[in-house]
Amino acid sequence: MLEAKNLSKSYGSHKALNNLNLTIGPGEIFALLGQNGAGKTTTINLFLGFIEPTSGIALINGISVAENPQETKKHLAYIPETVMLYPNLTGLENLEYFSSLAGFDYSKQDLSELLATAGLQNQAFKQRLGGYSKGMRQKVGIAIAVAKKAKVLLLDEPTSGLDPKASNEFSEILKNLTLHGTAILMATHDIFRAREVASRIGIMNQGHLQSVLDAGSISANELEDLYLKTV
Amino acid sequence: MHFKFIRIIAKQEWLSIFRIKTPLALYSVLLALMLLATFTGWQYVNTFNKQQAQAREEVHDHWMNQPNRHPHRVAHYGYLVFREKSPLSFFDFGLDSYVGNSVFLEAHRQNTVNMSEAGFSNGMLRFGQLSMASVFQLLIPLFIIFIGFQTIAGLKQNGVLKILLCQRASYYDILIGKTLGLAAVSWALFLPLLFTALIGGVFLLNGNITPQTGLNIGILLFSYGLYLFIISMMVVAVSALSSSGANSLVVSVLIWILCFVIIPKGAQTLGNYLFQAPDKIAFEHSIEEEISKEGDSHNPDDPHFAELKNKTLKKYGVDSVQNLPVNYGALVMQEGENISSGIFNRHFDQLIKTYKAQNSIATILGFLDPYLAMRNVSMSISGVDFETFSEFQKQTEHYRFNKTKNLNEIHLTQIDYKNDRDQKVGQSNWQQMAEFSFKPFSLSQTMKNSLWGFISLILWTLSGFFVLQYISTLRKYQL
Repeated sequence: MLEAKNLSKSYGSHKALNNLNLTIGPGEIFALLGQNGAGKTTTINLFLGFIEPTSGIALINGISVAENPQETKKHLAYIPETVMLYPNLTGLENLEYFSSLAGFDYSKQDLSELLATAGLQNQAFKQRLGGYSKGMRQKVGIAIAVAKKAKVLLLDEPTSGLDPKASNEFSEILKNLTLHGTAILMATHDIFRAREVASRIGIMNQGHLQSVLDAGSISANELEDLYLKTV
Repeated sequence: MHFKFIRIIAKQEWLSIFRIKTPLALYSVLLALMLLATFTGWQYVNTFNKQQAQAREEVHDHWMNQPNRHPHRVAHYGYLVFREKSPLSFFDFGLDSYVGNSVFLEAHRQNTVNMSEAGFSNGMLRFGQLSMASVFQLLIPLFIIFIGFQTIAGLKQNGVLKILLCQRASYYDILIGKTLGLAAVSWALFLPLLFTALIGGVFLLNGNITPQTGLNIGILLFSYGLYLFIISMMVVAVSALSSSGANSLVVSVLIWILCFVIIPKGAQTLGNYLFQAPDKIAFEHSIEEEISKEGDSHNPDDPHFAELKNKTLKKYGVDSVQNLPVNYGALVMQEGENISSGIFNRHFDQLIKTYKAQNSIATILGFLDPYLAMRNVSMSISGVDFETFSEFQKQTEHYRFNKTKNLNEIHLTQIDYKNDRDQKVGQSNWQQMAEFSFKPFSLSQTMKNSLWGFISLILWTLSGFFVLQYISTLRKYQL
């Protein structure tokens, strides 16, 4: 479970994030919409513990991120916009490396299954990552996140640059994860995808969370109108 | 710290280095350089040893084949002593090329060591010879910089570090793992080579490996291993502090220039400036001046020798030197010897002290610059350091003094005062004298000479762990 209480981050006089209050429960996907610089990545970095809040608190499963970054990292997984792993290693080796650093000791069989679940085609498992397309790398990123068995998933524009098919597959995998009680926070530019996959949508502008709506209660066109009005 | 994670990260670092071709190309260049350096060093020492052996034999033959002679003529005949190269001098040249190789030993005169390679050789040497040790000390760190500058900074640039830090391994585990991986690669590539070259080189030069040399080789391997680890730590630390690979490379190379060129040159200049040593002519001149003040044995009215004469006459209860049971001329000669030798030793000790003070600057700067610390350790262990050289000079003076004293003794007891110059003694008298052989430092003395170097290397290692730990706690170096 993810929780932000009056969470703010300033760089000098510039407020990157202003008084964010947000709770994302198990099985919920929250999509953060907003322009570049609206504060989406700052929010994710605060939950990851890479930056310290100026005021307020970010909690993961009730634990303060700023105080116990090492502890909260156990519960979360992160997929960036572009998953750049080790190009000299194969997909399977990359997954093996990252999951072993998460403290898991999967067999080759388990690892292959994880990659298959993430939607990577069989013949790519033993090819070097350097030759992968962006979508294929993203799938390895998902497999790494899933392998960690994290109950909290933080995604920073995970579908940007993916072709529609890959993007659609990605949405399906996320929905699947929520069935197992994963709480997902996803920053994105993709209004259509956000409405498709998310349970709730927040629109951010200049560090403020301007509005929060239920994805089911709004059409894509209405959402786009609201978005354009907000930013 | 999780050793399991550290091991996984180190292994991954190792694998990814060996999967790229550039490090291997760089390695082959270094390999060729090292083989060349070892071979030329080895060949040089081998030729040198052969020439020295031949010259030593010749000098010895001349000495042994002197006809029956007056002992004082033998004392003036002189004897040439050669400095032997230490068994490991083909690996590290140290000061060997710059200090002299032979010293002429004669009565009354304390000659300093003469004839160095640098004094006679052409330009090549003045540019600095390339020894295997200098490849290890200077170029392998550059190699580690090239294979390691990206190690953290590159991961920051492509965002992998963030994913890595979201696993369970801590940033400190990652930094230590990366350091170990880099160090392991450099160990695997270079230490077996060092071991083979040292064992093979010593064996080919001497035909055997004494336990002390074997132990020295072990110490060298250990300290170079530690050195490469320290360099790996520095490279990882710089990479972790840099936001991009390009920055990391520039900063690492700047540090390399600072530590490997500027500080060592500065240490030398500063040492010479703070503790000025007289040049050779001034040094010898001041000794001569002091000796001439002490008394002239050839002047019968000299007060010092007049007193010696009175004392000797009283001791034997006779009224003239002609009636002494011993040869008074020899007695005077030995007294002169005692005086000049005492003065020389005092001046020489003073000079050595000045040089040591100069060198102490480099020792102190070793705490700022691991290269200086390693260079000092390597020179001491290889027996090519300043201590070994001054020990050689000391032992030759000691040998010269005893030899002259021995001849004066023969003069004193076997030559009558009357018609002194017309008498001779048999050649067996000097043929029995022992040949000079240089006794190198014992292991404990060597360790004592390089103690500060070792302490700085160990301090560098410990503080490296602290610095990496500190960097790992700062959030701004994680993004």
